[in-house]
Amino acid sequence: MAHIVLDSCAGRDGGREALEAAAIASLQLDHQITVVGDESDITTALAKIAHDAERLRVAHARDRCEPDVDAAEVLRQAPRNSVVVGLEIAARDPSAVFVSAGAPGLIVAGAQQILGRIPGVPHAALAAVYPTLRPHGPVSDLFALLLDVGATVECSGDDLVTFAAMGAAYAAKISRIDRPRVALLCNGHGIANAPTRAREAHRRLLAATTAFEYVGCLRADSVTSGDADVIVTDGFSGDVLLRTLEGVAATGESLLRRAAEKFQWRIGVQMLSDGISAIREFTDWENYGGAPLLGFDRAVMVTQADSGRRAFLNAIRLGAKIDRLQVIAAVAAGVAEFHGLGAPSASPPAPEAT
Amino acid sequence: MTSDPADPSEPTRPEGQALQPRRFMHLRWDLDKTYLRTEFDTVKDLIKTFRQKAEEKIAVAGASALLRALLDPRERSHRRVTFISGSPRQMRKVLTAKLALDGVEPDMFILKPNLENLLRGRFRAIRGQVGYKLKALLLSHMAAEHVDEYLFGDDAEQDAFIYSVYADILAGRVDAVALAAILSTCKVYRGDVDEIMAYHRQLFGSGEVVRRIFIHLERRSPLDRFAAYGARVVAIYNYFQGAAVLFEAGALEPRGLLAVTEAMESEGYTPERLANSLQDLMRRGVLHFGTIERMSRELAAAESTMGRPVPRFVHAFEDAIGSLENLQRPGPRWEAEINYLGIYHEARFRRQQHRFLGIRLLD
Repeated sequence: MAHIVLDSCAGRDGGREALEAAAIASLQLDHQITVVGDESDITTALAKIAHDAERLRVAHARDRCEPDVDAAEVLRQAPRNSVVVGLEIAARDPSAVFVSAGAPGLIVAGAQQILGRIPGVPHAALAAVYPTLRPHGPVSDLFALLLDVGATVECSGDDLVTFAAMGAAYAAKISRIDRPRVALLCNGHGIANAPTRAREAHRRLLAATTAFEYVGCLRADSVTSGDADVIVTDGFSGDVLLRTLEGVAATGESLLRRAAEKFQWRIGVQMLSDGISAIREFTDWENYGGAPLLGFDRAVMVTQADSGRRAFLNAIRLGAKIDRLQVIAAVAAGVAEFHGLGAPSASPPAPEAT
Repeated sequence: MTSDPADPSEPTRPEGQALQPRRFMHLRWDLDKTYLRTEFDTVKDLIKTFRQKAEEKIAVAGASALLRALLDPRERSHRRVTFISGSPRQMRKVLTAKLALDGVEPDMFILKPNLENLLRGRFRAIRGQVGYKLKALLLSHMAAEHVDEYLFGDDAEQDAFIYSVYADILAGRVDAVALAAILSTCKVYRGDVDEIMAYHRQLFGSGEVVRRIFIHLERRSPLDRFAAYGARVVAIYNYFQGAAVLFEAGALEPRGLLAVTEAMESEGYTPERLANSLQDLMRRGVLHFGTIERMSRELAAAESTMGRPVPRFVHAFEDAIGSLENLQRPGPRWEAEINYLGIYHEARFRRQQHRFLGIRLLD
C-alpha cells in the first residue's frame, strides 16, 4: 500500500480538483492519502465531498505559494508552503509518493533540499510520456519516455548519460521492456553538429556496456515514430519539444472545431466522431497523470499546473504503481550499474505496511 | 417547535473520575448497515440476506466489540439495549442467533411486520421507515429518571432524521403541530400517525435524554448532509470513532476503548487508519486534543494490543495530530431548532436528482 502525499494548493480551481481526486482515491483505492494545504479550507471542502476519512489525512501548510514567483524566493518568503510540507512528509516515509501540480522549479528546488539524492545522479530529470506510432515492450505500450522535460535546464554530458540510465531503468520496470532502446535527441545534421554535451554523451553511451540498447541520435521529427523507448535530452529542449507536441494536438482540436463551420465537413466529422474521440483520448495528457521526477530517493510526480480531477487521479495511480514496482530502487540500481558504483546505498528500503 | 435546548452538550468526565453509578444508559441500535454488514440494494441481495444463516452474517468492524464494552457485566444492571430493525419479523430467529454468537443479548428486539404490511396492502410501509421506527422508538422509550440515550443508525436510510425527531419530541422541541406536519409530509399511514401522536402526548417534554446519535457512514455520504442536525448527530466512518466520542463523554471506560481498538485491528485496521479517523473527528471539532492525549496514555498503559506493540498506535496518533500544528477547532453547534421539513424535502430532491428515467445515477 502506497502513501500518497498530495499537494492540494495547485491545480484546476485553486486546487479544489486535487482535493476531489484525493476524495475519490480514498474511496476507490487502498492507499493512505495525505492531503497537504490549509487545514481549515480542506476540512470545509471535504465536508461537501464523499470521501473515506479512514484513508485520508490532512497535513497543515500555513504558507501559501504565490504563482509565478521564483522558487528561491518562495522558499524564503513562504517556508511552510504545501510543497515543502509535502516533501518533508514524503522524506519520512519510504513508501511515500509526492504528487503536486505546483511550479516544477519549486518542486525541484524543494526536493533538492529535503529528499535524498540517488548516488551518481548530480541533477534530477523530469520524465514525461508521449504517444508513439509503434508499441513498446511485451505489453504493447504505445508510449515512449522523454526526459528531461524541464527539471535541469543546463545539462552536462554526464547528466545526459545519467538520464539515459534512469530513463531505461524506469521504462524497464513500468513498460516491462527487457532492454529498452535509448536515443539522444539531436538536431537535423547528426551528432557532428550537436552541442558538446550531446557529443560527449553520445561517445560515452556508444562505449559503455549497458542494460539498455543505445540506438544513437533521433531527430525531433522522429520522436513519435516509436523507434526509441526512451529519448534523452536536456531540460530546455525537452520542455520545448513536449510543449510543441501538445501545441500540435491542441491545434488539431481547433481545426476540428473549425470544420463545423461548413455543413459537409460537419457531416464528415460526425461520421468520424468515434475515431476522433479515440485519438483525443489517446493524446489527452490528463490520461497519463503526471511526470515522475527522477533522481531522488522518493517518488515525486509533477502534474501540469491546470490539472483536473482525472489528471490527479491518474497521477495517484501511476505513483502507486511506481511504489508497488519499486521503480525508484530500480532506477538507483540502474544508475549504480551504469556508473559502476556497486549496490546503491540510497535505494529506498522496502515500504512499511501502512 | 418550542423551548431552547437545556444545555445538551455532553457531560464530560474529569480525568480519573468514575462513571456516575446510578445513571441509566439506553442504547438503541439499528441492525442492517449499522450493526450488520448487509447488502439489500438489489433483489438478489435481499434474497441472499434472507437466506443467510446466523454464522454467515458479518458484523460491521468494531460494532460488536463496542456494544459488548458498553454492556459490560459490571454496568449491565443499569444499561439497556434495544434493536429496532427494518428486517422482517420472520428473521428474528436468525438475527437473535447472530447476536448471541457475538455475545450480545438485547433487552428488546423490534422487527418490522413486513408480511402484515404486504397482506394489508400497506405497500408504502414496506419501504418507508419514518412511521415504523418513530413508533418503535417511542414505544420502547425507557421511562426512568436520569436516562442517557445513545442511538446508532446509518446513512443508508433516514436514521438521522427519525432519531432527531424522536430526540426533539422528548426534549419538547417538536410539538404536536410540528410532528403532524412531519408525519404528513413523510406520508405515514393514518393508523401509525394516531399511535405516534398518542405516544407524543405521553412523552413530549420528558427531557434532554438523547445524548448522541451516531450515524455509521456505510455509504460514505458527505458530512454536510448531517450538519443541519447539529452536534447531537455524529457521523462516523467506523466504530473506533464512536468509541472515542463515547470515551470523551465518559460513557465508555478505557478498557472498552482498548477492546474496540483490538477488535478493529483484528479486522485489518492499521494504526494509520485509526489515527486518520481520530484526526477526522478532531478537525470536525467533535473530539478534543486532550481526549486524544488521554486515549494515547490509556493505550500506552496497556501492555500490548493483540501481540503488537502499543507504541505503533500512539505514534500514529501523535503523527496524525502533529500534522495539524496545534489545531483548536470549536465543536459543531447544538441546533435549538431543526427544520425537519426542509431536510426531508432536500433529501427527496437529492434522491430524485440522482435518478434519470428511474435509473440510479452515481452519487
